[in-house]
Amino acid sequence: MSRRNVVRLIRFCVALLVLAIFLFPIYWLVITAFKQESEWFTTPPVFWPSKFTLSNFLGTGSTTFGTTTTSIAGIVPFLRNSVVVATTTSIVSTIIAAFAAYSIARTKIGGTGLAGWFISMRFLPPIASAIPLYVIFSKISLLNTWWALILPYLVPTTALSIWLLISFFNEIPQEIEEAAYIDGASRTQAFLQVVLPLSAPGLAAAAILAFIQSWGEFLLALVLTSNASAQTLPVYLGRYITGWRVAWGPLSAAGLVTMLPVIVFALITQRYLIRGLTLGAVK
Amino acid sequence: MTSTHKRTGFFMVLPAIVLFLVMTVYPFAYMIYNSFTNLDLSKSGTGQFVGLRNYTDIVRDQLALSSIEFTALMVLIAVPVEMILGLALSYLIRGLFAEKALRSLFLIPMMVPAAVGGFGWKMLFNFIFGPINYFLNLIGLQSIEWFGKINTARTAVMIVEIWQWTPFVFLILYAALQALPKDILDAGKVDGADGWRLFLHIELPLLRPILYVTLLLRIIDVLRTFDSVYMTTYGGPGSATSTWSFYAYKVTVSYGWNIGYGSALCVILVIVSGILINTLTRVLNIGRELGLSKE
Repeated sequence: MSRRNVVRLIRFCVALLVLAIFLFPIYWLVITAFKQESEWFTTPPVFWPSKFTLSNFLGTGSTTFGTTTTSIAGIVPFLRNSVVVATTTSIVSTIIAAFAAYSIARTKIGGTGLAGWFISMRFLPPIASAIPLYVIFSKISLLNTWWALILPYLVPTTALSIWLLISFFNEIPQEIEEAAYIDGASRTQAFLQVVLPLSAPGLAAAAILAFIQSWGEFLLALVLTSNASAQTLPVYLGRYITGWRVAWGPLSAAGLVTMLPVIVFALITQRYLIRGLTLGAVK
Repeated sequence: MTSTHKRTGFFMVLPAIVLFLVMTVYPFAYMIYNSFTNLDLSKSGTGQFVGLRNYTDIVRDQLALSSIEFTALMVLIAVPVEMILGLALSYLIRGLFAEKALRSLFLIPMMVPAAVGGFGWKMLFNFIFGPINYFLNLIGLQSIEWFGKINTARTAVMIVEIWQWTPFVFLILYAALQALPKDILDAGKVDGADGWRLFLHIELPLLRPILYVTLLLRIIDVLRTFDSVYMTTYGGPGSATSTWSFYAYKVTVSYGWNIGYGSALCVILVIVSGILINTLTRVLNIGRELGLSKE
């Protein structure tokens, strides 16, 4: 083996080691989700469960463990809330963003100023929205509802999608729409019937990104909802974590349920996700 | 372009403008107003104008100052570590066997919802049953009571942050490395630059703009750290790991209901973030990037 290949092999091994360190917290969470109760708290820790069990998910019929339950059977309403909130946010933000992005891409309306203002909405600290919205929503009885989450979630998701979609629409040649105008189509018709179908991949990417962002959001959900009728999965996880004796198995199971859809979606849409998360710094 | 088209264009962008006005500008204006009052949700009859008192109170509030200090520490320590690790990682992976697969796997920590990642680390850091102390013991070190002491708790929170966001830095820099102009690199090699010199004198200067953007993105994000603190240390011990956001959360909607004071804290946070966001949008050169202007 040449010297160059040896160096490369060493680099590869180092990369694998670093990767193992970075993935270890996830690995630990996943195996803990399948550990039986006797293996949650042991010294030395159990790195490979002697028996994989689903009892953390389904329940064993036994009672409470410390301040938490022994299973996540109660997670269903939270799962439902997460699905409803993330899906609605995803659809609505994509629609709003598609119209705005198309208008900016084609008519340059508002110029750099408006586009910059839109994009800056993606970066505002959530605590600064959470506090005034808590007061406002309590006055109009919107606290602890799905809309209390969907409305604020629309802000960063729409902002990010506008950015993504402007560059998508820029890539669609204007001649295609001009041909439609000659055939007598209005701008709205040209947009809906000609441009939208062509930009389906971009719209799907924007929708998935919005879904991922709202699915994992924690601070606003923590502040603006208060029980199972509107709380989402990350809050389910958060509300048991401060107990005096936290059941690792079921909480890991809940963590697994919370992260699985996001990781799957993210890996599928990696390319667009990267473009969105890095604000086009990476193409 | 006809004027009908222009008008349609306006109506298309209108929903987004309304959304941001109602969901951001209005709450922010309300927050700024609240920051000049003594509004306290637990006391009736509050909400009177108190001038700048909330702002002057911050300077005298040890807990607020320590939360801001810890947030600044994260910017000064965690962010540079992320930048260096991310850059090192992008060089390590570049040109390796299965680099695409490795890249995808390295992305996972960044995708995990922060609440889930935080819980994972809470288990790892556990004093008695946690794997981290187990590994420390294996190599002959003492167990560390991670969340029990100021410095170790602060280190722990930073580790979680570094774990989650180094992949982000890596991702950007890895892509930037691929996009470096080949001819300049080749010219450098012809001139005898290799390894370290090539990196220092040619690649690093070429990477500078993207390093700057990455740094800004990371600082803006770290300024609002909340989830990882809530899930691991809950601001403790005492308030050693309380961040700016976490403290504002505690005084307003958790232990206290002092909306006026919390709003003042948030107004300053928004101003600081706003300056950085503004710099970011200028550095990104949105106008040219999106084809809105030529400069």
